[in-house]
Amino acid sequence: MSAKMAKDILLVEDNPDDAELTRIAFAEAGIDFRLHVVGDGVQALGYLRGCSTSELPSLVLLDLNLPKLNGREVLEAIRADPATRHLPVVVLTTSAEPSDVDTVYELGANSYIRKPVDFERFVEVVRQIGLYWLALNQPPGKA
Amino acid sequence: MSRWTIPLMPAQHAYPHDDARFRLAIASAGIGMAIVSLQGRFVDVNPALCRMLGRDSEELVGRLLHDFSHPDDLPLTERLCASLAAGESPSIEAEKRYLHRDGHVIEVQLTSALMRDADGAPQYLISQLRDVTAQRTAERALRDLNEHLEQRVRERTAELEEARRRMEAFAYGVSHDLRAPLRAIDGFTVQLARQAEALDEQGREQLSRIRGASVRMGGLLDSLLELARIGRAELRPARVDVSLLADWAAAELQDAHPDRRAVVRVQPGLEAVGDERLLKALLTQLLRNAWQFSASRDAVEVDVEGERRGHGLHLVVRDRGIGFDMAYAGKLFEPFQRLHGSDQGAGHGIGLTIARQIAARHRGRIHAEGVPDRGASFHVELLDLPLPADDTPAHEGRGWGAA
Repeated sequence: MSAKMAKDILLVEDNPDDAELTRIAFAEAGIDFRLHVVGDGVQALGYLRGCSTSELPSLVLLDLNLPKLNGREVLEAIRADPATRHLPVVVLTTSAEPSDVDTVYELGANSYIRKPVDFERFVEVVRQIGLYWLALNQPPGKA
Repeated sequence: MSRWTIPLMPAQHAYPHDDARFRLAIASAGIGMAIVSLQGRFVDVNPALCRMLGRDSEELVGRLLHDFSHPDDLPLTERLCASLAAGESPSIEAEKRYLHRDGHVIEVQLTSALMRDADGAPQYLISQLRDVTAQRTAERALRDLNEHLEQRVRERTAELEEARRRMEAFAYGVSHDLRAPLRAIDGFTVQLARQAEALDEQGREQLSRIRGASVRMGGLLDSLLELARIGRAELRPARVDVSLLADWAAAELQDAHPDRRAVVRVQPGLEAVGDERLLKALLTQLLRNAWQFSASRDAVEVDVEGERRGHGLHLVVRDRGIGFDMAYAGKLFEPFQRLHGSDQGAGHGIGLTIARQIAARHRGRIHAEGVPDRGASFHVELLDLPLPADDTPAHEGRGWGAA
């Protein structure tokens, strides 16, 4: 966790309350990051397509129920584009529908995490996401 | 196609109606009878046939049968007569339609026999005509009704399927859309609590009540979703080591409440054929129930016992908690019905409903026995689910729980 390089995270979340809580949770978890928040699937794809390879975020946190393009469609588009095919995508949602979980893995999600109601547990969830994906995990092509 | 080419009968031929007894038999018959010439003309008719066709015998005798037949049946008539004339069979039976004088169709069960003279030459036909209009009408009505019913069943099934889909969508909406504002309530309450020094004791307590309530509501939503899921989950029958599941559920409860002293005694070797995931949830619910209602005891004490009965497992989960009054036993398994306040350990009021639903999906039942302040026991009858065809039979050694 001692890497000083700033990490970019793209948060795709339409609910401003949830976006704000996630921002607070990342701050409380003490993760060294820049959080970019977009409110729908179209904006998410627009953001990613505007990035050069070196500007791509280290992690995408993706909600499923989104306006315009939903999370599943965003995930499909990310996996279909050679530039973003290997981008780590963690689905972070309130749903725990078994069918959602299966679909999302089928579409190539790296992880599926359900946001707990209890905020303190959410901070812990965020801390572990940060530890795993931004510190421990070795992403492809960035070594 | 062969025309009706029966040799003409000599005109002077003696008809059997010269015989008085024969005439009487025909006249008094309850069904329509006729002597028909080989040319297809009525030679004699009885009163029953006259009534059937709504005509006098004078109107019929000498006329062709054709004249009273349903036009669509004429080819059939010809085929039948040709078959008789060719001597293919001594008599024929057929269903034919005739026309009543007033134009309505009469459905008739027709039996005709060819009479021959001593030399074997065909003489005439004796026909019996039974009116089956009412019977056929009733049969058609019944068939229509059946088809209508099948159609209704298809429609209702489609409606139910649609209702189930809407229910699923609703459950999904509950999961996602109600949890989101709840998370906001809890999250921002926590933020507010960070500045709690600005609040007095009462304000801090109220904040903690808000948090408690939102977490409880989150649990309630989860329970409702689990209930909805259990109702529609696809069953995956397998041999299940129920004792192992009970130990597992107990260990999870102990992990969640490390400070609570608990003694859970599980009889080893309890076996069932069912859905492992659902049976695990069943044991979790029953053990959690025992756990919750033993809150006032020094230790949680639960016994999980059972025995194989026929093709099923009779399972008993017995606690020494606060028990309940048997007068309310029927309410235990209804959603949101609670016999105790939350200070006595009551949860969401869904857990036992989930347990009952799981038992029902295993074609089983659940009932409870309790004594106030002495404890409660929950009896679950689980019938073995049919195993997929490629699985080995249950009595082949101890292959339980291998999956």
